[in-house]
Amino acid sequence: MEYGSATARYFEALERAGELPNGLPGLVSGEAEDRTLHVWVRFQLQLQGGIVRLARFQVFGCPHTVAAASKVAEWLEGRSEADARALDARAVCAELGVPVEKLGKLLRIEDAVAACWSNGRDGNDKGR
Amino acid sequence: MSEEIYLDYAATSPVDPAVTAAMLECLQHEFGNPSSQHAAGWRARRLVEAARAAVAARVGAQPEQLLFTSGATEANNLALKGVLRRQRIARPHLVTSRIEHKSVLDAARALETEGVEVTYVETQADGSIDPLRVAAAIRAETALVSIMHVNNETGVIQDVGAIGALCRERGVPFHVDAAQSVGKLPLELAMAPIDLCSLTAHKLCGPKGVGALYVAPNTLLAAQLHGGEQERGLRAGTQATHQIVGMGRAYELADPQTEAPRLAGLRDRLWRELEAIPGVRQNGAPARRAAHLLNVTFPGVDGESLRFALGGVAVSAGSACAADSPEASHVLTGMGLSDTLASSSLRFSVGRFTTEAEVVRAGATVVGAVNRLRSVAKSAPAWCSGSGF
Repeated sequence: MEYGSATARYFEALERAGELPNGLPGLVSGEAEDRTLHVWVRFQLQLQGGIVRLARFQVFGCPHTVAAASKVAEWLEGRSEADARALDARAVCAELGVPVEKLGKLLRIEDAVAACWSNGRDGNDKGR
Repeated sequence: MSEEIYLDYAATSPVDPAVTAAMLECLQHEFGNPSSQHAAGWRARRLVEAARAAVAARVGAQPEQLLFTSGATEANNLALKGVLRRQRIARPHLVTSRIEHKSVLDAARALETEGVEVTYVETQADGSIDPLRVAAAIRAETALVSIMHVNNETGVIQDVGAIGALCRERGVPFHVDAAQSVGKLPLELAMAPIDLCSLTAHKLCGPKGVGALYVAPNTLLAAQLHGGEQERGLRAGTQATHQIVGMGRAYELADPQTEAPRLAGLRDRLWRELEAIPGVRQNGAPARRAAHLLNVTFPGVDGESLRFALGGVAVSAGSACAADSPEASHVLTGMGLSDTLASSSLRFSVGRFTTEAEVVRAGATVVGAVNRLRSVAKSAPAWCSGSGF
Protein backbone atom coordinates (compact mmCIF):
# COMPACT_ATOMS: atom_id res chain seq x y z
CA MET A 1 0.00 0.00 0.00
CA GLU A 2 1.25 3.44 -0.87
CA TYR A 3 0.69 6.45 1.35
CA GLY A 4 0.16 10.04 0.30
CA SER A 5 2.44 12.91 1.22
CA ALA A 6 -0.03 14.27 3.80
CA THR A 7 -0.13 10.91 5.56
CA ALA A 8 3.64 10.79 5.56
CA ARG A 9 3.87 14.33 6.93
CA TYR A 10 1.51 13.73 9.86
CA PHE A 11 2.98 10.28 10.56
CA GLU A 12 6.46 11.76 10.69
CA ALA A 13 5.65 14.85 12.71
CA LEU A 14 3.45 13.45 15.50
CA GLU A 15 3.62 16.88 17.09
CA ARG A 16 0.81 16.25 19.56
CA ALA A 17 1.64 12.67 20.44
CA GLY A 18 1.95 11.96 24.14
CA GLU A 19 0.20 12.75 27.36
CA LEU A 20 -0.91 15.85 29.22
CA PRO A 21 0.22 16.07 32.84
CA ASN A 22 -2.09 14.66 35.46
CA GLY A 23 -3.90 17.36 37.36
CA LEU A 24 -3.85 19.80 34.47
CA PRO A 25 -6.91 22.08 34.79
CA GLY A 26 -9.74 21.18 32.40
CA LEU A 27 -8.26 17.82 31.49
CA VAL A 28 -10.59 15.31 29.85
CA SER A 29 -9.64 12.04 28.27
CA GLY A 30 -11.24 9.28 26.28
CA GLU A 31 -10.20 6.22 24.38
CA ALA A 32 -11.59 3.71 21.90
CA GLU A 33 -10.40 0.49 20.33
CA ASP A 34 -11.29 -2.21 17.86
CA ARG A 35 -9.25 -5.34 18.32
CA THR A 36 -10.35 -6.83 15.04
CA LEU A 37 -9.04 -3.73 13.25
CA HIS A 38 -5.90 -3.63 15.42
CA VAL A 39 -6.54 -0.06 16.49
CA TRP A 40 -6.48 1.72 19.85
CA VAL A 41 -6.67 5.49 20.31
CA ARG A 42 -6.55 7.76 23.36
CA PHE A 43 -7.17 11.51 23.34
CA GLN A 44 -6.54 13.97 26.12
CA LEU A 45 -7.88 17.49 25.84
CA GLN A 46 -7.47 20.55 27.99
CA LEU A 47 -10.62 22.67 27.96
CA GLN A 48 -10.44 26.26 29.10
CA GLY A 49 -13.08 28.89 28.58
CA GLY A 50 -15.02 26.66 26.22
CA ILE A 51 -11.97 26.22 24.01
CA VAL A 52 -9.78 23.16 23.41
CA ARG A 53 -6.43 24.62 24.47
CA LEU A 54 -4.35 21.48 24.14
CA ALA A 55 -4.90 18.12 22.47
CA ARG A 56 -2.68 15.07 22.85
CA PHE A 57 -3.08 11.58 21.52
CA GLN A 58 -1.68 8.09 21.79
CA VAL A 59 -2.33 5.52 19.11
CA PHE A 60 -1.66 1.93 18.12
CA GLY A 61 -2.51 1.22 14.52
CA CYS A 62 -1.60 1.52 10.88
CA PRO A 63 0.06 4.60 9.33
CA HIS A 64 -3.27 6.06 8.24
CA THR A 65 -4.63 5.74 11.78
CA VAL A 66 -1.53 7.30 13.29
CA ALA A 67 -1.56 10.16 10.79
CA ALA A 68 -5.29 10.67 11.25
CA ALA A 69 -4.98 10.86 15.03
CA SER A 70 -2.21 13.40 14.59
CA LYS A 71 -4.30 15.42 12.16
CA VAL A 72 -7.37 15.35 14.40
CA ALA A 73 -5.31 16.51 17.38
CA GLU A 74 -4.06 19.42 15.33
CA TRP A 75 -7.60 20.23 14.21
CA LEU A 76 -8.96 20.12 17.75
CA GLU A 77 -6.56 22.61 19.26
CA GLY A 78 -8.09 26.10 19.36
CA ARG A 79 -11.60 24.91 18.48
CA SER A 80 -14.59 25.75 20.56
CA GLU A 81 -15.97 22.82 22.48
CA ALA A 82 -19.12 22.96 20.35
CA ASP A 83 -17.09 22.69 17.14
CA ALA A 84 -14.92 19.98 18.59
CA ARG A 85 -17.93 17.95 19.62
CA ALA A 86 -19.08 18.00 16.00
CA LEU A 87 -15.85 16.35 14.83
CA ASP A 88 -16.23 14.49 11.55
CA ALA A 89 -12.93 12.63 11.39
CA ARG A 90 -13.48 11.55 7.81
CA ALA A 91 -13.90 15.16 6.67
CA VAL A 92 -10.94 16.35 8.73
CA CYS A 93 -8.78 13.56 7.33
CA ALA A 94 -9.98 13.80 3.74
CA GLU A 95 -6.60 15.04 2.54
CA LEU A 96 -4.93 11.93 3.97
CA GLY A 97 -6.59 9.79 1.31
CA VAL A 98 -7.48 7.03 3.74
CA PRO A 99 -8.64 4.04 1.71
CA VAL A 100 -12.24 3.02 2.12
CA GLU A 101 -11.35 -0.26 3.86
CA LYS A 102 -9.68 1.71 6.63
CA LEU A 103 -12.48 4.18 7.31
CA GLY A 104 -13.62 2.08 10.27
CA LYS A 105 -10.39 3.01 12.00
CA LEU A 106 -11.18 6.71 11.65
CA LEU A 107 -14.46 6.07 13.44
CA ARG A 108 -12.45 4.83 16.43
CA ILE A 109 -10.71 8.21 16.47
CA GLU A 110 -14.11 9.91 16.55
CA ASP A 111 -15.15 7.52 19.31
CA ALA A 112 -12.09 8.36 21.38
CA VAL A 113 -12.77 12.09 21.10
CA ALA A 114 -16.47 11.52 21.84
CA ALA A 115 -15.42 9.56 24.92
CA CYS A 116 -13.66 12.70 26.15
CA TRP A 117 -17.01 14.46 26.28
CA SER A 118 -18.88 11.61 27.85
CA ASN A 119 -16.15 10.93 30.43
CA GLY A 120 -16.35 14.56 31.50
CA ARG A 121 -13.84 16.65 33.24
CA ASP A 122 -11.74 15.71 36.19
CA GLY A 123 -13.10 18.56 38.29
CA ASN A 124 -10.10 20.79 37.76
CA ASP A 125 -11.49 22.85 34.93
CA LYS A 126 -11.04 26.14 36.67
CA GLY A 127 -10.58 27.97 33.45
CA ARG A 128 -14.18 27.77 32.29
CA MET B 1 21.56 6.62 -5.84
CA SER B 2 19.23 6.83 -2.86
CA GLU B 3 20.01 5.66 0.63
CA GLU B 4 17.57 2.77 0.31
CA ILE B 5 18.58 -0.45 2.02
CA TYR B 6 16.99 -3.40 0.31
CA LEU B 7 16.21 -6.25 2.73
CA ASP B 8 13.40 -7.91 0.81
CA TYR B 9 15.24 -10.50 -1.28
CA ALA B 10 12.58 -13.08 -0.41
CA ALA B 11 10.12 -10.99 -2.41
CA THR B 12 12.44 -10.44 -5.32
CA SER B 13 16.08 -9.61 -5.94
CA PRO B 14 17.99 -7.14 -8.06
CA VAL B 15 19.07 -8.61 -11.37
CA ASP B 16 22.76 -9.47 -11.41
CA PRO B 17 24.62 -7.34 -14.02
CA ALA B 18 25.92 -10.53 -15.64
CA VAL B 19 22.33 -11.69 -16.08
CA THR B 20 21.32 -8.34 -17.55
CA ALA B 21 24.22 -8.54 -20.01
CA ALA B 22 23.22 -12.02 -21.17
CA MET B 23 19.62 -10.95 -21.61
CA LEU B 24 20.54 -7.80 -23.48
CA GLU B 25 22.75 -9.74 -25.83
CA CYS B 26 19.85 -12.05 -26.52
CA LEU B 27 17.33 -9.25 -26.98
CA GLN B 28 19.59 -7.36 -29.33
CA HIS B 29 20.86 -10.20 -31.46
CA GLU B 30 18.79 -13.35 -31.01
CA PHE B 31 15.16 -12.55 -31.65
CA GLY B 32 14.36 -15.80 -33.37
CA ASN B 33 11.52 -18.05 -32.33
CA PRO B 34 13.06 -21.19 -30.81
CA SER B 35 10.47 -23.29 -32.64
CA SER B 36 11.31 -21.85 -36.08
CA GLN B 37 13.12 -24.03 -38.58
CA HIS B 38 15.76 -21.65 -39.84
CA ALA B 39 19.10 -20.36 -38.60
CA ALA B 40 17.70 -17.62 -36.31
CA GLY B 41 15.30 -20.10 -34.78
CA TRP B 42 17.98 -22.75 -34.36
CA ARG B 43 20.25 -20.23 -32.60
CA ALA B 44 17.45 -19.24 -30.25
CA ARG B 45 16.72 -22.87 -29.56
CA ARG B 46 20.35 -23.51 -28.70
CA LEU B 47 20.21 -20.64 -26.21
CA VAL B 48 17.07 -22.06 -24.61
CA GLU B 49 18.62 -25.51 -24.34
CA ALA B 50 21.86 -24.14 -22.94
CA ALA B 51 19.87 -22.32 -20.28
CA ARG B 52 17.89 -25.47 -19.55
CA ALA B 53 21.14 -27.34 -19.05
CA ALA B 54 22.44 -24.62 -16.69
CA VAL B 55 19.29 -24.71 -14.57
CA ALA B 56 19.35 -28.51 -14.55
CA ALA B 57 22.97 -28.55 -13.44
CA ARG B 58 22.21 -26.26 -10.49
CA VAL B 59 19.33 -28.43 -9.22
CA GLY B 60 20.81 -31.83 -9.98
CA ALA B 61 18.38 -32.79 -12.71
CA GLN B 62 18.53 -33.75 -16.35
CA PRO B 63 17.73 -30.92 -18.80
CA GLU B 64 14.83 -32.84 -20.33
CA GLN B 65 13.20 -32.98 -16.90
CA LEU B 66 12.65 -29.21 -16.81
CA LEU B 67 9.76 -27.26 -18.32
CA PHE B 68 10.09 -23.51 -18.53
CA THR B 69 7.13 -21.54 -17.21
CA SER B 70 6.35 -17.90 -16.45
CA GLY B 71 7.48 -18.37 -12.86
CA ALA B 72 6.99 -20.46 -9.75
CA THR B 73 3.33 -19.51 -9.49
CA GLU B 74 2.62 -21.06 -12.87
CA ALA B 75 4.83 -24.02 -12.02
CA ASN B 76 2.86 -24.59 -8.81
CA ASN B 77 -0.42 -24.35 -10.69
CA LEU B 78 0.82 -26.71 -13.37
CA ALA B 79 2.00 -29.23 -10.79
CA LEU B 80 -1.19 -29.28 -8.74
CA LYS B 81 -3.75 -28.92 -11.52
CA GLY B 82 -1.72 -30.97 -13.96
CA VAL B 83 -1.63 -33.96 -11.64
CA LEU B 84 -5.09 -33.69 -10.07
CA ARG B 85 -6.95 -33.01 -13.32
CA ARG B 86 -5.42 -36.13 -14.85
CA GLN B 87 -6.99 -38.37 -12.24
CA ARG B 88 -9.85 -40.55 -13.37
CA ILE B 89 -11.35 -41.25 -9.95
CA ALA B 90 -14.40 -39.34 -8.72
CA ARG B 91 -12.86 -37.46 -5.81
CA PRO B 92 -9.08 -37.42 -5.93
CA HIS B 93 -7.27 -36.20 -2.85
CA LEU B 94 -4.51 -33.63 -2.35
CA VAL B 95 -2.38 -33.19 0.74
CA THR B 96 -0.72 -29.86 1.40
CA SER B 97 -0.10 -27.60 4.39
CA ARG B 98 -1.66 -24.42 5.75
CA ILE B 99 1.58 -22.46 5.36
CA GLU B 100 2.12 -22.91 1.63
CA HIS B 101 2.52 -20.01 -0.75
CA LYS B 102 -0.70 -18.46 -2.00
CA SER B 103 -0.13 -19.96 -5.44
CA VAL B 104 -0.42 -23.44 -3.94
CA LEU B 105 -3.27 -22.64 -1.55
CA ASP B 106 -5.33 -20.83 -4.19
CA ALA B 107 -4.72 -23.61 -6.72
CA ALA B 108 -5.84 -26.13 -4.09
CA ARG B 109 -8.99 -24.11 -3.43
CA ALA B 110 -9.70 -23.95 -7.16
CA LEU B 111 -9.35 -27.73 -7.32
CA GLU B 112 -11.73 -28.11 -4.37
CA THR B 113 -14.42 -26.41 -6.45
CA GLU B 114 -13.87 -29.15 -9.03
CA GLY B 115 -14.44 -31.92 -6.51
CA VAL B 116 -10.90 -32.54 -5.31
CA GLU B 117 -10.65 -33.20 -1.59
CA VAL B 118 -7.83 -31.37 0.12
CA THR B 119 -6.23 -32.05 3.49
CA TYR B 120 -4.33 -29.10 4.94
CA VAL B 121 -1.71 -30.36 7.37
CA GLU B 122 -1.18 -28.05 10.34
CA THR B 123 2.23 -26.62 11.09
CA GLN B 124 4.00 -26.98 14.40
CA ALA B 125 4.75 -23.94 16.60
CA ASP B 126 8.30 -23.72 15.23
CA GLY B 127 6.99 -23.48 11.67
CA SER B 128 7.97 -26.99 10.64
CA ILE B 129 5.71 -29.63 9.12
CA ASP B 130 5.86 -33.01 10.81
CA PRO B 131 6.49 -35.61 8.07
CA LEU B 132 4.45 -38.14 10.04
CA ARG B 133 1.44 -35.83 9.97
CA VAL B 134 1.78 -35.64 6.20
CA ALA B 135 2.02 -39.42 5.99
CA ALA B 136 -1.04 -39.78 8.22
CA ALA B 137 -3.04 -37.61 5.84
CA ILE B 138 -2.30 -39.84 2.83
CA ARG B 139 -5.09 -42.18 1.81
CA ALA B 140 -5.94 -44.44 -1.10
CA GLU B 141 -7.32 -41.57 -3.20
CA THR B 142 -4.34 -39.28 -2.60
CA ALA B 143 -2.98 -38.20 -5.97
CA LEU B 144 -0.39 -35.65 -4.82
CA VAL B 145 1.38 -34.26 -1.78
CA SER B 146 2.64 -30.66 -2.07
CA ILE B 147 4.92 -29.17 0.60
CA MET B 148 7.24 -26.20 0.16
CA HIS B 149 10.98 -26.55 0.79
CA VAL B 150 11.64 -23.22 2.53
CA ASN B 151 8.79 -21.17 3.88
CA ASN B 152 8.70 -17.77 2.23
CA GLU B 153 7.79 -15.91 5.42
CA THR B 154 9.78 -17.63 8.16
CA GLY B 155 12.56 -19.30 6.20
CA VAL B 156 11.92 -22.60 7.99
CA ILE B 157 13.31 -25.53 6.01
CA GLN B 158 10.91 -28.43 5.72
CA ASP B 159 12.19 -31.98 5.78
CA VAL B 160 11.27 -32.70 2.18
CA GLY B 161 13.59 -35.70 2.14
CA ALA B 162 11.63 -37.44 4.89
CA ILE B 163 8.26 -36.36 3.50
CA GLY B 164 9.24 -37.51 0.01
CA ALA B 165 10.43 -40.87 1.32
CA LEU B 166 7.10 -41.42 3.06
CA CYS B 167 5.29 -40.48 -0.15
CA ARG B 168 7.41 -42.95 -2.13
CA GLU B 169 6.51 -45.71 0.34
CA ARG B 170 2.85 -45.01 -0.35
CA GLY B 171 3.30 -44.52 -4.10
CA VAL B 172 2.10 -40.91 -4.04
CA PRO B 173 3.79 -38.23 -6.19
CA PHE B 174 5.44 -35.46 -4.22
CA HIS B 175 5.63 -31.81 -5.31
CA VAL B 176 8.00 -29.30 -3.73
CA ASP B 177 7.81 -25.53 -4.14
CA ALA B 178 11.49 -24.59 -4.07
CA ALA B 179 11.08 -20.90 -4.98
CA GLN B 180 12.73 -19.76 -1.74
CA SER B 181 15.36 -22.49 -1.45
CA VAL B 182 16.89 -22.72 -4.89
CA GLY B 183 20.25 -21.00 -4.90
CA LYS B 184 20.23 -20.89 -1.08
CA LEU B 185 20.27 -24.62 -0.33
CA PRO B 186 21.85 -27.41 -2.38
CA LEU B 187 19.27 -29.26 -4.47
CA GLU B 188 19.87 -32.67 -6.01
CA LEU B 189 16.49 -33.41 -7.48
CA ALA B 190 17.40 -36.57 -9.33
CA MET B 191 18.65 -38.07 -6.06
CA ALA B 192 15.72 -36.83 -3.95
CA PRO B 193 12.32 -38.49 -3.51
CA ILE B 194 10.73 -35.56 -5.31
CA ASP B 195 8.58 -35.90 -8.42
CA LEU B 196 7.75 -32.27 -9.17
CA CYS B 197 9.62 -29.15 -8.13
CA SER B 198 8.79 -25.51 -8.81
CA LEU B 199 11.66 -23.11 -9.53
CA THR B 200 11.93 -19.40 -10.12
CA ALA B 201 14.57 -17.00 -11.40
CA HIS B 202 13.85 -13.67 -9.75
CA LYS B 203 14.64 -14.76 -6.19
CA LEU B 204 18.23 -15.46 -7.16
CA CYS B 205 19.13 -12.33 -9.08
CA GLY B 206 17.48 -13.42 -12.30
CA PRO B 207 14.60 -11.81 -14.18
CA LYS B 208 10.94 -11.88 -13.20
CA GLY B 209 8.51 -13.68 -15.46
CA VAL B 210 10.34 -16.96 -15.84
CA GLY B 211 10.54 -20.16 -13.85
CA ALA B 212 10.52 -23.87 -14.36
CA LEU B 213 8.89 -27.06 -13.24
CA TYR B 214 11.00 -30.16 -12.68
CA VAL B 215 9.11 -33.28 -13.67
CA ALA B 216 10.63 -36.62 -12.74
CA PRO B 217 10.34 -39.51 -15.21
CA ASN B 218 7.01 -41.33 -15.17
CA THR B 219 5.19 -38.44 -13.51
CA LEU B 220 1.86 -37.99 -15.25
CA LEU B 221 0.85 -34.43 -15.88
CA ALA B 222 -1.93 -32.81 -17.91
CA ALA B 223 -1.09 -29.61 -19.77
CA GLN B 224 -2.87 -26.52 -18.48
CA LEU B 225 -2.06 -24.29 -21.43
CA HIS B 226 -2.88 -25.35 -24.97
CA GLY B 227 -1.77 -23.99 -28.29
CA GLY B 228 1.57 -25.47 -29.19
CA GLU B 229 3.98 -28.30 -28.60
CA GLN B 230 6.57 -26.27 -26.74
CA GLU B 231 8.01 -27.70 -23.53
CA ARG B 232 7.10 -31.26 -24.50
CA GLY B 233 3.50 -30.20 -25.10
CA LEU B 234 3.05 -29.44 -21.42
CA ARG B 235 3.39 -25.68 -21.60
CA ALA B 236 2.27 -24.14 -24.87
CA GLY B 237 3.47 -20.73 -25.99
CA THR B 238 6.55 -19.28 -27.61
CA GLN B 239 9.44 -19.60 -25.21
CA ALA B 240 10.60 -16.23 -23.85
CA THR B 241 14.16 -16.71 -25.01
CA HIS B 242 15.71 -13.71 -23.26
CA GLN B 243 13.98 -14.54 -19.97
CA ILE B 244 15.10 -18.14 -20.17
CA VAL B 245 18.64 -17.05 -21.00
CA GLY B 246 18.54 -14.80 -17.95
CA MET B 247 17.35 -17.65 -15.76
CA GLY B 248 20.10 -19.89 -17.03
CA ARG B 249 22.76 -17.28 -16.27
CA ALA B 250 21.27 -16.64 -12.81
CA TYR B 251 21.46 -20.35 -12.03
CA GLU B 252 25.07 -20.48 -13.19
CA LEU B 253 25.91 -17.65 -10.81
CA ALA B 254 23.99 -18.88 -7.78
CA ASP B 255 26.13 -21.07 -5.60
CA PRO B 256 24.66 -22.03 -2.23
CA GLN B 257 27.99 -23.37 -1.00
CA THR B 258 29.60 -19.95 -1.09
CA GLU B 259 26.59 -17.69 -0.75
CA ALA B 260 24.68 -19.30 2.13
CA PRO B 261 27.37 -18.85 4.83
CA ARG B 262 27.75 -15.19 3.93
CA LEU B 263 23.99 -14.63 4.01
CA ALA B 264 23.68 -16.43 7.34
CA GLY B 265 26.36 -14.12 8.74
CA LEU B 266 24.43 -11.06 7.59
CA ARG B 267 21.15 -12.41 8.94
CA ASP B 268 22.71 -13.14 12.33
CA ARG B 269 24.37 -9.72 12.41
CA LEU B 270 20.98 -8.12 11.82
CA TRP B 271 19.45 -10.16 14.62
CA ARG B 272 22.19 -9.04 17.00
CA GLU B 273 21.13 -5.46 16.28
CA LEU B 274 17.45 -6.22 16.81
CA GLU B 275 17.57 -8.45 19.85
CA ALA B 276 18.29 -5.43 22.06
CA ILE B 277 14.63 -4.42 21.62
CA PRO B 278 12.62 -5.56 24.66
CA GLY B 279 10.16 -8.36 23.90
CA VAL B 280 11.37 -8.96 20.37
CA ARG B 281 11.31 -12.57 19.11
CA GLN B 282 12.23 -14.55 16.04
CA ASN B 283 9.62 -16.67 14.33
CA GLY B 284 10.55 -20.12 13.10
CA ALA B 285 13.00 -22.66 14.42
CA PRO B 286 16.43 -20.95 14.31
CA ALA B 287 18.22 -24.27 13.86
CA ARG B 288 16.40 -25.11 10.64
CA ARG B 289 16.07 -21.80 8.85
CA ALA B 290 17.37 -20.77 5.46
CA ALA B 291 20.31 -18.40 5.55
CA HIS B 292 18.64 -15.40 3.96
CA LEU B 293 15.50 -14.97 6.03
CA LEU B 294 14.64 -13.50 9.42
CA ASN B 295 11.07 -13.06 10.62
CA VAL B 296 10.71 -10.95 13.74
CA THR B 297 7.78 -9.97 15.97
CA PHE B 298 7.88 -6.55 17.62
CA PRO B 299 5.16 -6.65 20.30
CA GLY B 300 3.37 -3.37 20.85
CA VAL B 301 4.09 -2.07 17.37
CA ASP B 302 1.82 -2.29 14.35
CA GLY B 303 3.79 -3.97 11.59
CA GLU B 304 2.42 -1.76 8.83
CA SER B 305 3.36 1.36 10.76
CA LEU B 306 6.78 -0.02 11.51
CA ARG B 307 7.35 -0.79 7.85
CA PHE B 308 6.30 2.74 6.93
CA ALA B 309 8.45 4.25 9.67
CA LEU B 310 11.50 2.47 8.29
CA GLY B 311 11.38 4.70 5.23
CA GLY B 312 14.40 3.72 3.18
CA VAL B 313 14.69 0.22 4.57
CA ALA B 314 12.71 -2.10 2.31
CA VAL B 315 11.21 -5.04 4.21
CA SER B 316 7.95 -6.97 4.05
CA ALA B 317 5.15 -7.65 6.51
CA GLY B 318 4.98 -11.13 5.03
CA SER B 319 4.59 -12.65 1.62
CA ALA B 320 4.77 -10.02 -1.10
CA CYS B 321 1.98 -11.90 -2.85
CA ALA B 322 -0.35 -11.08 0.06
CA ALA B 323 1.13 -7.74 1.01
CA ASP B 324 -1.98 -5.75 0.16
CA SER B 325 -4.18 -7.98 2.26
CA PRO B 326 -5.31 -6.58 5.63
CA GLU B 327 -5.35 -10.13 6.98
CA ALA B 328 -2.66 -11.23 9.38
CA SER B 329 -0.11 -13.66 7.94
CA HIS B 330 -1.65 -17.13 7.58
CA VAL B 331 1.79 -18.60 8.16
CA LEU B 332 2.36 -16.91 11.51
CA THR B 333 -1.18 -17.47 12.76
CA GLY B 334 -0.81 -21.08 11.61
CA MET B 335 2.19 -21.28 13.95
CA GLY B 336 0.02 -20.13 16.83
CA LEU B 337 0.68 -16.38 16.91
CA SER B 338 -2.31 -14.17 17.64
CA ASP B 339 -3.55 -11.91 14.85
CA THR B 340 -2.05 -8.94 16.69
CA LEU B 341 1.38 -10.48 17.06
CA ALA B 342 1.33 -11.72 13.49
CA SER B 343 0.49 -8.17 12.42
CA SER B 344 3.40 -6.89 14.53
CA SER B 345 5.90 -8.96 12.55
CA LEU B 346 8.28 -8.14 9.74
CA ARG B 347 10.26 -10.26 7.34
CA PHE B 348 13.86 -9.27 6.62
CA SER B 349 15.69 -11.04 3.83
CA VAL B 350 19.25 -10.50 2.70
CA GLY B 351 20.88 -11.36 -0.58
CA ARG B 352 23.84 -11.20 -2.89
CA PHE B 353 24.33 -7.44 -2.78
CA THR B 354 23.56 -6.87 0.90
CA THR B 355 26.48 -5.54 2.94
CA GLU B 356 27.23 -5.73 6.65
CA ALA B 357 27.15 -1.94 6.86
CA GLU B 358 23.62 -2.02 5.47
CA VAL B 359 22.29 -4.52 7.98
CA VAL B 360 23.88 -2.60 10.85
CA ARG B 361 22.33 0.64 9.64
CA ALA B 362 18.98 -1.08 9.06
CA GLY B 363 19.09 -2.55 12.56
CA ALA B 364 19.64 0.86 14.10
CA THR B 365 16.80 2.30 12.02
CA VAL B 366 14.45 -0.46 13.18
CA VAL B 367 15.40 0.04 16.84
CA GLY B 368 14.70 3.77 16.54
CA ALA B 369 11.38 3.24 14.78
CA VAL B 370 10.17 0.65 17.30
CA ASN B 371 11.05 2.93 20.21
CA ARG B 372 9.26 5.84 18.59
CA LEU B 373 6.09 3.89 17.80
CA ARG B 374 6.02 2.34 21.27
CA SER B 375 6.33 5.78 22.83
CA VAL B 376 3.28 6.91 20.87
CA ALA B 377 1.29 4.00 22.31
CA LYS B 378 2.75 4.03 25.82
CA SER B 379 -0.59 3.56 27.57
CA ALA B 380 -1.96 1.03 25.08
CA PRO B 381 -3.80 -1.96 26.53
CA ALA B 382 -2.12 -5.35 26.82
CA TRP B 383 -3.74 -6.77 23.69
CA CYS B 384 -1.68 -4.37 21.56
CA SER B 385 1.37 -6.29 22.75
CA GLY B 386 -0.22 -9.62 21.99
CA SER B 387 -1.32 -10.47 25.50
CA GLY B 388 -4.42 -9.86 27.53
CA PHE B 389 -6.75 -12.04 25.50
